[in-house]
Amino acid sequence: MSDAYHIEDEAQQRAYDARLMRRLMGYVRPYARWFALAVVLLFVASIAGNFVPLIMMQAIDENVNNPDRLALSAEIAAAPQPDPAKVLALDAMKREDRRGLMRLMLLIGGLMLAEAVVRYAQMVIVAWIGQRTMFEMRMRIFEHLQRMSLRFLDKNPVGRLMTRVTNDVEKVQASIVSGVEQTISDLFTIIVVVGFMVYTDWRIAGIVLSTIPFVFITGLVFRNYARKSYLEVRRKVAQLNAFMQENISGIRVVQIFRQEERRLDEFKILNAGHRDEWFKQIRNFAVYFPMIDFLGTAALALVILYHGWEVIGLQAQGRGEVQIGLFFAYLQWAERLYGPIRALTDRYNVLLEAMAASERIFTLLDTPEDIADKPNAIQPKTLQGEIVFEDVRFGYDPESPVLKDINLSIAPGERVAIVGHTGAGKTTFINLLSRFYDIQRGSIRVDGLDVREYDKTELRKRIGIVLQDVFLFSGSIADNISLGSPEVTAETIRRCAEHVNAAPFIETLPGTYGYDVGERGCNLSTGQRQLLAFARALAHDPQILVLDEATSSVDTATEALIQDAIIKLMEGRTSIVIAHRLSTVQHADRIVVMHHGEIREVGTHQELLAVRGLYYTLYQLQYKDQTEAA
Amino acid sequence: MASSVPSVRVTGPFATLLRYNRRYWRSYAAGFALAAIFSVLNLAMPLLMGAMVDRFIAYELTRSMLLGYVGLLIGVGIISGIARYFERTLIIGASRKFEYDLRNDYFRAIQAQSREFFTKSPTGEVMARASNDINYVRELIGPGIMGTVDMLRLPLAFGTMLYFSSYLTLVALVPLPVVSILVYAFVTYIHRQSQIVQDQFGVVTTRVQENLAGSRVVQAYGVGDVEVRAFRVESEKYMREGLKLSVAMSFAWPVIGMMIGVVILLIIWQGGDMVLDGAQVSRPVWNETGFGIARETFTLGSFTAFMSCLLLLAWPLAEFGWVMTLYQRGVVSMKRIIEYLNREPAIRDSAETDYGKSAIHGAVRFDGVGLSYDGRVALSDISFDVEQGQTVAIVGPTGSGKSSIVSLLTREYEPTNGSIHIDGHDIRRFPLQTLRSGIAYVPQDTFLFSDTIRANLTFGRPGASQEEIEYAADAAQLTETIDRLANGYDTLLGERGVNLSGGQKQRLAIARAVVLDGAILILDDALSSVDTHTEEQILSRLKNVMQHRTSVIISHRVSTVRHADLILVLEGGRIIERGAHDALLLLDGHYAEMYERQLLEDELETTA
Repeated sequence: MSDAYHIEDEAQQRAYDARLMRRLMGYVRPYARWFALAVVLLFVASIAGNFVPLIMMQAIDENVNNPDRLALSAEIAAAPQPDPAKVLALDAMKREDRRGLMRLMLLIGGLMLAEAVVRYAQMVIVAWIGQRTMFEMRMRIFEHLQRMSLRFLDKNPVGRLMTRVTNDVEKVQASIVSGVEQTISDLFTIIVVVGFMVYTDWRIAGIVLSTIPFVFITGLVFRNYARKSYLEVRRKVAQLNAFMQENISGIRVVQIFRQEERRLDEFKILNAGHRDEWFKQIRNFAVYFPMIDFLGTAALALVILYHGWEVIGLQAQGRGEVQIGLFFAYLQWAERLYGPIRALTDRYNVLLEAMAASERIFTLLDTPEDIADKPNAIQPKTLQGEIVFEDVRFGYDPESPVLKDINLSIAPGERVAIVGHTGAGKTTFINLLSRFYDIQRGSIRVDGLDVREYDKTELRKRIGIVLQDVFLFSGSIADNISLGSPEVTAETIRRCAEHVNAAPFIETLPGTYGYDVGERGCNLSTGQRQLLAFARALAHDPQILVLDEATSSVDTATEALIQDAIIKLMEGRTSIVIAHRLSTVQHADRIVVMHHGEIREVGTHQELLAVRGLYYTLYQLQYKDQTEAA
Repeated sequence: MASSVPSVRVTGPFATLLRYNRRYWRSYAAGFALAAIFSVLNLAMPLLMGAMVDRFIAYELTRSMLLGYVGLLIGVGIISGIARYFERTLIIGASRKFEYDLRNDYFRAIQAQSREFFTKSPTGEVMARASNDINYVRELIGPGIMGTVDMLRLPLAFGTMLYFSSYLTLVALVPLPVVSILVYAFVTYIHRQSQIVQDQFGVVTTRVQENLAGSRVVQAYGVGDVEVRAFRVESEKYMREGLKLSVAMSFAWPVIGMMIGVVILLIIWQGGDMVLDGAQVSRPVWNETGFGIARETFTLGSFTAFMSCLLLLAWPLAEFGWVMTLYQRGVVSMKRIIEYLNREPAIRDSAETDYGKSAIHGAVRFDGVGLSYDGRVALSDISFDVEQGQTVAIVGPTGSGKSSIVSLLTREYEPTNGSIHIDGHDIRRFPLQTLRSGIAYVPQDTFLFSDTIRANLTFGRPGASQEEIEYAADAAQLTETIDRLANGYDTLLGERGVNLSGGQKQRLAIARAVVLDGAILILDDALSSVDTHTEEQILSRLKNVMQHRTSVIISHRVSTVRHADLILVLEGGRIIERGAHDALLLLDGHYAEMYERQLLEDELETTA
């Protein structure tokens, strides 16, 4: 939704871009043969369809209105005594004409059937190509997003990126594949119709075609006006939506400050602007459509005038029949001609919109992975779990470092608790280990090797992270533990859940492990979500555990379960825990006290308390209350 | 319809549409009349053609007559075009006016809703109704009516066809049941399949959204490839369902086109036979003897007129399905809009309201007040008394109900039990306008409009003078910040303007409240993003402002509340301690402990 309010007007203003088009066509290239087949079918259908008026003409002018028969009939009627031989001949002619009429009708039926079948096949092929290419484009964007860094994902709102995968691809689909095909189709149809018209009678064709430039000019002028109005309307719609959106977000301020009436008045002004812009657009359309209709009428009138003039001239010489079939044939061809010409001018807008959408898509696809793996990056099967931070300096903004000169060695299997006041840099510390961000100076080594030497996905698989805010995907409990990973069996899921005390609550849920947690796990309590996150971490059996303890309070029973689970989870793993629980700090081998992005104190709980430094203050602030509980 | 307090109206979509559009009846009537003219003129072409052909065959047509006919044809074309222009501007124009009215009323109805509505209805939903649904309803009224009016042509063309030959009309109708069954089947299938495609689009969207929102988990566990596989499954399904829909549509168009072709073919065949035979047809005539039925020959001219009529029919018939979709969609959307339009705001002026009360002075009394919503108790048994000009402070942990007390005072919620009195009267007796105009409120989440600083400062009192604005800015320690901006008070805020820091925004919100100059000033944790030093400065400046005002201050900082006349300590929705700062310290309870922690935190903060 929110993305709708940022219309990229600059992109909209841009004209057709050949470079973008080529790149888009790259997606269609694998289906080039099918596309070619569709074009051939199109040609066939177009010819078959346009044959119909020609045959109708023949049927009407040569059978229904057979001039020889009419002449004979007139001769018989004129004679005082009907000549029996002539009457017989007339009957024979009538029979012949009737048979001829039926033959031609069967032929038309066959042609129409053929056209329908071929057109159907062609449309299906084009739809298939369109769906395939867009599917591939969607997959490519999605895959690309998986490789993007957190830095990128934090900077770009979810809504905007989502639009790239969904709506923008839809826009491209709506116009590029079918748009290109329809443009080819329209051009074809125009050529074929003109061919038939010229073949039948080049002079009449000339008359009909003489109106085409007017149709085209009308279309161009209209498009110019309509486009301006269209952009203006879009701008007004964006303003309306933005205003309403803001009013809803700030509704408390509006209501408490009693500004409803004034806000409504302001809204009315925008709303009126929107309405008035549409009035202009309505006038554009109201002129355009009747104008085109009139040009059609004018063309027909001219055809009638020309043909009639000629026939009357012939009639003066005693012989001349009006070819009414000819008229109907041109009537139908004109219709088949005007449609594509109108469509050609109309399609331009849609094409521009799709161009803008594809430009946004390509910009995203062209954004390089900012945390990329080296070629031949190491893919660890397992880790010892030794971690070394050496002179690490890092800032989300390099100018203002969040971590300054961090030095810390953690032995395999060691349990380290990180404590510190808000803003001390604890969370940043654990973000760096999994290489969510690249540091600006120093090095972080795992098992003696810089993290930048590893394949980051494989490295991350060996590091289990449990975050404060547990993110659950909509889906079953089992899916949320395994995260869809095929290595995690149902048996593993059950065992892990049991180990971290999650099994008891899971088994009370309807459907147990198959229970749907709802969007963002809204059906579960905070404590339950914590336990589930522990099971998730355990199921992936990491050698290094990184845990950011949640501060939110849970009931005493669940608290005990969580404390127990954390201690179990740390067993036999190198563990780094941002600790909020006294029990966790007490079970740690070492406590690292961070303050303003630096490590200030390191030691065990007792040692640090004895120093009476920062830890002592922190202890009084954060952990002292828990003494009785623990 | 334009009252700011909507009365109870339970009406259906059609009644509502009628009520809104009644005032534009002239436009619609004129549009209809023009459409009728257009429909009649439309028949001119077939009739002229028929007459012309018959004269041709009889060798009666002269060149001047031909010119006359052609001139008539062009004249009819011009008049039709003009009629069409006005028809379109009138009907579609009226639909845009209707859209304007509807959107204003929608905006008004939404604005009148109380807090509980906004917490329960997602913004996306409210916005979707404002944009998509209003648009669909507009399409029902505009293009929908245009399409319906277009169908006026159908009976006229049918009548003309019947006049020329009832037999041929019957022949033309033979495929009609087949066509309608086919169209119905297609429309039903396409409708259902579209729904499936839409739903699957939703699934795909949700997958992307969750994947992005949970990107930390996905990356931390290195399950990006698993996500891609799962997405592929849904994306493939979306592709398959979309293809099914396309195939159905690819089938529909050629088939419907062919059916129309078959009708034309049948008419040429049978009509051709009739012309060949010189068949006699019965026709109603009007002559000296009055109205009667005469036998006449089905001539080539009759055939021409009949065929031309048939071609005129094809388009409105094809339009029929489209118009039906517009109606269906529009009615559903109208119902969705009505749901909000008719929704009674939970809190509004009522029979108890005394409109004679035009101001509040600021004495506040809570009497055993309890509040629960969604089955959860937020506050229970809250009682306190504040005299005009006094300061009451509320402290307590997150979720203890501090903000709920404020929301009761601003009447965003009604107490579940107990009562609230202002100046000795029940709060419900004050008109909302009076009550809220007397409250200068600084919310917890600072909300500023993407407008100029001046517009934001004067939001509550658009007429405030420059002097007053500057005084307020000064009180909130903002003068320096604003002076540093190139455009000063006219600097635009938000995405298209300057982004202020959290502290600056909070100070702006405070200045906004100062400009409003209400009898009660509420600071709902309004200094959280301001450092302790600035906070003290602001508080000391505000003291002047607060002199005759009642102040309600919510804070988690002891330093903010220590000078209050009354401090309430909240926990779990109850007042557990109350009194002035020194008395509370002597109590050595929760407040004292909070104070101690505050000292520790300050100590940590100052440790370099």
